[in-house]
Amino acid sequence: MSAENMEYLTIALPKGKVFGKAAELFKKIGYTAEGLSDKSRKLIITNESKKIRFIITKTADVPVYVEYGAADIGVIGKDVLMESAKDVYELLDLQIAKCHLMMAVAKKAKRKHLADYANTRVATKFPHIAAAFFNSKGMQMEYIKLHGSIELGPIVGLSESIVDIVETGTTLRENDLVEYAFIADATARLIANRVSFKMKFARISKLTEALRQVVNSAD
Amino acid sequence: MLEIPYGMRDFLPHDAAIKRNIENVLADLFKVWGYDEVITPTVEYLDTLTIGNKNSMQRHMFKFFDKNNRTLALRNEMTTSIARLVSSRLQNEDVPFKLSYICKVYRYEKAQTGRQCEFYQAGVELMGNGEPTGDAEIVALAIKSMLKAGLGNFQVCMGQVAFINGLMQQWNLSAEEQKCIRTALEKHDLVKLEKAVSEAALTDDAKAFLRSLPMLHGDKTVLARAKAFAVNEQSRQALQNLQKIYEALQLYGVAEYVVFDLGVIRDFSYYTGMVFEIYAPGLGSPLCGGGRYDNLLADFGRKCPATGFALGLERLMLALKNQGKAECLTNNKENYVAYAAGHLAEAVEKAMVLRAAGEITELAGTAQKLAEAEAYCQKKGYVNLVYIQ
Repeated sequence: MSAENMEYLTIALPKGKVFGKAAELFKKIGYTAEGLSDKSRKLIITNESKKIRFIITKTADVPVYVEYGAADIGVIGKDVLMESAKDVYELLDLQIAKCHLMMAVAKKAKRKHLADYANTRVATKFPHIAAAFFNSKGMQMEYIKLHGSIELGPIVGLSESIVDIVETGTTLRENDLVEYAFIADATARLIANRVSFKMKFARISKLTEALRQVVNSAD
Repeated sequence: MLEIPYGMRDFLPHDAAIKRNIENVLADLFKVWGYDEVITPTVEYLDTLTIGNKNSMQRHMFKFFDKNNRTLALRNEMTTSIARLVSSRLQNEDVPFKLSYICKVYRYEKAQTGRQCEFYQAGVELMGNGEPTGDAEIVALAIKSMLKAGLGNFQVCMGQVAFINGLMQQWNLSAEEQKCIRTALEKHDLVKLEKAVSEAALTDDAKAFLRSLPMLHGDKTVLARAKAFAVNEQSRQALQNLQKIYEALQLYGVAEYVVFDLGVIRDFSYYTGMVFEIYAPGLGSPLCGGGRYDNLLADFGRKCPATGFALGLERLMLALKNQGKAECLTNNKENYVAYAAGHLAEAVEKAMVLRAAGEITELAGTAQKLAEAEAYCQKKGYVNLVYIQ
């Protein structure tokens, strides 16, 4: 980081679902920039007068940018954060993009106890979270990493269960799956690089406080 | 190209020169501050290295077995090895011990720039001094190390472990609650902290203060703000201790680099008092850290207060590069001595005179024509050509 980076506050936002809500929250506290959109072709959008830089990245990359200090702070779903196991500071629950992590199984082949699934296959986008969950239950599983349409797993006989995030449960129902075990709540979090948090403390703590007020008043 | 194992690196001449020059600067500095160098083995028994630090460091160690099937490990830091040394080999000698080291340590972690699995640490330990002046000396020496190496832009964050422990005690938190709050503070997971605090049986004031703990960051007014909440002896003394260390740092003329951060808790569980970390812009992790660890030596059978720091040499190099201060630490190639056929004797003599004067001097391998010597001199980047004919 150069002296220039010291001057700017760099904020990483993920493309997709979370982007709009996060950008709106930042706008409410006066942090925005002209042309800030996840459809933008520009990857860095700067607000010169306020010395803010937004970088827009793929969801899973936000914790990476923040851990390395390429971005000072970022917004990311707790699910992605848990899966990445990155060493970053978690500053605030933004209460947006509410969903939860769970294990689901095929309705027709539902087994009686969780332990009945021991040593079976799990299809998931979150192999680390899934492994932590099943390990805590003393279960050894076979994890099959998929990158999308996880629900397909049990339907086509790829796996006995899935571990995924669910918001309303519509996709599960439409695919004859049923939620079997709750794993963790996941909402979007404000995260910070550990050195940026110290070196740019005044700006980051002020921003966090302002966001906290907006989040609390929305409750 | 042949591979090298995961997390290992080569230093080519350019970087090796910078590293060696920093080491020399630090070795001289530690020496003039009265610290004696010690060297301990790279390999120790796993049991020795995990005394007093029963947390998760073990899974980050390189382990193997000796012929009797005892578990060995590569040292993952130096403090424990020095504690062993002081309580066994030096047990009949009087305190204080002022010891320093510059060496390789090993951690089985994800390799990143500035922190491979094998990396260099330079540090000092002051054993037998339990006073704030001891802590101040350590922090001052850490700051001087940064300055001497040429680093201009950095910040020291100083906290006190006993302050947080005292608070938890005075509020009668259960062991489970304490652990939860401590983990949240250590990981700086404020969402988890929020949850743990709101579920604990505490007054609203106490809750508000615990929540604000990671935000207690800044100049000495932080101490005044914290004082209002430090009811019991331990937490009050912890703040007084920080105040005294700060006053001593003013005497050293380095207090301007220090900010207080009562949320700083370092990864190692053996710290008992003042803790600090040093940060530089652009580096995702601290480049130096240390603090007081009064109980570690007792685990080795010699009760003795102690304080110290360790800095990561590769991280310091990276910070110097970021700040444009590394190039001046490379070796300046000064002289190339070449000679025409029949003049070897004068050339050797000239080269030896220059070398005796401390100038970096290369002597040509064979007799050369002037044009050849000039071309070589330029290619290798020597400042002066001495041509003898």
